[in-house]
Amino acid sequence: MSDFRRFLVKRFAIAAALTLIAVSIIFVVLRMLPGSPFEALITAGNLSEEQVNEIMGIYGLNKPLWQQYLSYLKSILTFQFGYSILRSRPVWEVLEPKLVNTLVLLVPALVTTAILSSLLGMYVGWNRGGKLEKASIIVTTFLRSTPVFITAIIFVILFSYTFGLVPAFGMREVTASPTGYLDTYLSTDFLHHYILPFSVAVLYYSGDFLLLARNGVVEKKGSEFLKLHRAKGLSEFEQLARAGRNSMLPILTYFALRLGMIFQGLILLEVVFAWPGIGRALVLAIQQQDYPLVQAAVFIMALAVIIANLLADVLYAYFDPTVSTSGGGAA
Amino acid sequence: MSTDTTNGAVIFERIDTWRTILKDQFDFIRRDNLALVGVIIVATFVFLGLFGPMLAPHNPIEHDMKTEEGSIMRLSSPNAKAPLGTTAYGKDILSQFLAGARPTLIVGLFGGLGTGAIGFLVGLVSGYYGGGVDEVLMRLTDLTFSLPFMPMALLLLTFVTPNIWLITLIIAGFLWKMPARVVRSEVLSVRERTFVKSARASGASNLRTMFFHVAPNVLPIGFLYTAYGVAWSIAAQASLAFLGFGDPTMTSWGRMLRMVFDSGNIRIAWWWVFPPALGIAAITTSVFLIGRAYEEVINPEIEIES
Repeated sequence: MSDFRRFLVKRFAIAAALTLIAVSIIFVVLRMLPGSPFEALITAGNLSEEQVNEIMGIYGLNKPLWQQYLSYLKSILTFQFGYSILRSRPVWEVLEPKLVNTLVLLVPALVTTAILSSLLGMYVGWNRGGKLEKASIIVTTFLRSTPVFITAIIFVILFSYTFGLVPAFGMREVTASPTGYLDTYLSTDFLHHYILPFSVAVLYYSGDFLLLARNGVVEKKGSEFLKLHRAKGLSEFEQLARAGRNSMLPILTYFALRLGMIFQGLILLEVVFAWPGIGRALVLAIQQQDYPLVQAAVFIMALAVIIANLLADVLYAYFDPTVSTSGGGAA
Repeated sequence: MSTDTTNGAVIFERIDTWRTILKDQFDFIRRDNLALVGVIIVATFVFLGLFGPMLAPHNPIEHDMKTEEGSIMRLSSPNAKAPLGTTAYGKDILSQFLAGARPTLIVGLFGGLGTGAIGFLVGLVSGYYGGGVDEVLMRLTDLTFSLPFMPMALLLLTFVTPNIWLITLIIAGFLWKMPARVVRSEVLSVRERTFVKSARASGASNLRTMFFHVAPNVLPIGFLYTAYGVAWSIAAQASLAFLGFGDPTMTSWGRMLRMVFDSGNIRIAWWWVFPPALGIAAITTSVFLIGRAYEEVINPEIEIES
């Protein structure tokens, strides 16, 4: 097990280094951007030069670059994201509810699709060459390869504008003013708004899980160990269960990876549905040049991917003894 | 695998095997209806990309469609003058659709080729040399994985005016990580085979062994991921254009969708939404269907990302 421990230490070190490099790149890219959020305010006549200089001082934007970089590193790695320039509120206060909105939409969608699509995938993989297999492959390939915003637009046209079943955008009615998360999410109004983006997310991710499960079962079906089970006289269903269990590992690791990519993966979905999530907030912040907000949002997204990658690697190494714990990460 | 001792014979045998693989796949495509439909759609799309702008009856951006009375024809459903209707700004949708195929094709094709080529080379070198080289290249791959593509692309495109070549470059610069990992793991298994060992034993240089003995065996996967790269690039370009970060000088399908969405007309103007939406969906789906047919033959470590 000491091998495994060394592997763990190495993976953690790599993850830490990646985080450091990623935040440095974000810093460099943001400092390369021309213009500042204050320009708009000056030209609009809302601020005078002196006031701007004063504010620049508060934000530390007039210090030498290396000092800015160090204080930036210190603050971002301790999750002190500073103040949103445009909204004049702490960045975290702006982002937190948005982050929760994104997670509330996507985590249940991902869990649902992982379970349903994997089961369907195992089934069609077992009964290879059937009509159901062909149909499910066409449908999920379409859903997986078409950019998610197109699927979303088609769904909105169909279910909101044509049949008038669900609202086309937003998370709550404009008039609703809930207080706190429970009040926000536990309402029929919310559910009404939720169902369409949720369905699109479920369908969009279904293809990957279906194909992974199918391919896993197809590969296992002819393998030695199933012959053994057959010789043992296990029923068809029991064999499928065993084959399924053995193709769970790629699905599990894939799930971890997807979870990490979730924030950036559905920026477009949030834009189409005007879902007040972190992805949409990021697009708006980029357009308004609200750097502290952009910085924090991109950092959260990068961190999620790094942690998910680490998790997937560790899961893989832990559950699959055939993977050597030296060398690169499990893909 | 035979263990021919002369290099030339081995190479020819490689090429031969490879040719057989290709032929098999070709036959396979012909047998596989899905892939066949995919090939037809892709061919149509390439044709549109090459000749679409010439076929367009009007300039997609400059020309205003007029009604009989001479007023600008706004948001008109399909009619004799404008077979696919007009936009809220009085532009001809058929012309926009035809002209919009070109940037979509350019980004898709070059983005896919760039993705496939860089990823293939990185995976090949990384897997073949192993050790320190492998470590460095794979950590670099990890880094591109951990920088979120969409936000980074949006940021980069805010301080330069987007143009299609730049967008292509950004896309390829982010997507090469996909084939890199898969090609590397294939190379790791090919590297251990007898013919590679015998090539090394008979004194072939590293580079020669890598390109003449190892590469041909992983080339099919390189092609497969180039195809996927085309689909990913088209999807990424459309998504960027939809968010308003497309090439402002060109009509592309993604940009058409942004226009209709921003003008708040998706509620009514189905004739404005469906041509670009179905165009993008058809081409990306087709590429993936062809890829699936190949995958059944090659059966690499299947690893799907989007």
